[in-house]
Amino acid sequence: MELLLDDLDTRGALREAAEKAGISRAVFLGGTIASVVAALSAPAAAEAVSRNDIAVLNFALVLEYLQSSFYTEADRSAALHGKAAAAARRVGAVERAHVKAFEALLGRQAIKRPAFNFAGTTESDRPFLKTAVAFEDLAVAAYKGQAPRLRSKQVLASALAIHSVEARHAAWMRYLFHVQPAVSAFDDAASKPKIERVVAGTHFIVARPRMEARRRPRLTG
Amino acid sequence: MSRRIVAALGAAVVAACAVVAIGKVAVGAPAGPTSSLRGAPLPRAPRPALSVPSPRDLADSRHVSVWTILVRPTTARARPDADARPVARLARRTPEGTPNSLVPLGRAGDGHGHVWVRARLPVLPNGTTGWVPRRALGAYQAVRTHLVVDLERLTATLLRDGRPVLRAKVGVGQPRWPTPRGEFHIRNRLTGYRDPFYGPLAFGTSARSAKLTDWPGGGFVGIHGTDRPDLVPGRVSHGCIRMRNDDVLRLGRLMPVGTPLTIR
Repeated sequence: MELLLDDLDTRGALREAAEKAGISRAVFLGGTIASVVAALSAPAAAEAVSRNDIAVLNFALVLEYLQSSFYTEADRSAALHGKAAAAARRVGAVERAHVKAFEALLGRQAIKRPAFNFAGTTESDRPFLKTAVAFEDLAVAAYKGQAPRLRSKQVLASALAIHSVEARHAAWMRYLFHVQPAVSAFDDAASKPKIERVVAGTHFIVARPRMEARRRPRLTG
Repeated sequence: MSRRIVAALGAAVVAACAVVAIGKVAVGAPAGPTSSLRGAPLPRAPRPALSVPSPRDLADSRHVSVWTILVRPTTARARPDADARPVARLARRTPEGTPNSLVPLGRAGDGHGHVWVRARLPVLPNGTTGWVPRRALGAYQAVRTHLVVDLERLTATLLRDGRPVLRAKVGVGQPRWPTPRGEFHIRNRLTGYRDPFYGPLAFGTSARSAKLTDWPGGGFVGIHGTDRPDLVPGRVSHGCIRMRNDDVLRLGRLMPVGTPLTIR
């Protein structure tokens, strides 16, 4: 089986998903950060990083949010078994560490975590593993696609260090899902439209529900 | 000098020259199998910009509660099976127009690849549970707070991570309209209305009065402020939990929607 990303790629509409998540398309595509960068009080670390690199980092952060939320929910649901449960626990811890690192570097320039509805894929073994393979392949392909665009060697060094970890996760999840961990001798990067289609096609990114109303209570009083 | 000695000296000179030459490009490089790695000097690798902390397992989840919304009307059933006996029909929205919400208690597959979630239902009798299809539910959201209302002591205590962060006196239901006991959750937060009876802020809960079933909206119990702070604490309400306005505003700053509510 090759590139399970395609299995989740049912509809191309990352733009919509990005908007739902409060992310402008331009930022999601790494073009500009103008609409999300709160220039006020940005930490020194992020100030030292170029706008281009901040856009790429935010792009990566969205994928890290996606993964960390997925594994955390799977771990918390306690619905998985055996090796799948163990993998969710371990990989979730790593993805949360990645999120913390990105958030620390980006400070107030970090994109906010979207809400995710994983629609039951965190609650049984096979859908979990299938989705995990797709997410890890997605992350590996995305890092590979964005790395050449980075201007800072320090940021590039970080991206490479995380990229190889994501590749290990991809191999691990593929092994557990009984698909070949290493299929080809050369991995292509995923294009930006590809990433767009895959993430939006899952419909996992959702708007946060509004649980507040400006209405007279209809309570017993 | 014999020819052998001359040859040996020559070899030694050549070797010395080679060592000097190699030493200029790779000082201290070990000889042997790694010699093929010798080459032009490379600059030191850049230091990564990210400082990635050590991976850590989820913190103690005893105090974490998960809630979710209904994304479509659905029927709760007695078992995780589309053909099982219906327990209740669940609307997508509350009487106040916010999304209806549930607290998952467990999950199971139905053998056809569908996940079902067991949840406590906002129906009478209080405490009723049923199974709803996972596809009828939205994103899971986690909270670390828990509100405990003590009907004997007339207190409300908000816990975060198991520790009290707010304690206040409350008014509760009169004996003829008792506040129901049990496990519930906060369903919504209501502001901006102009009815001093409810004070400046109200929370809707999943608890229902067993007596006021014909109350508008179905007799849901709320937590709200009051225009009669002199009656708090006391057994004064139709079943709702009344707080002094300052207290309910403090609660509003600390308690997110989805917080579990224990009334005991």
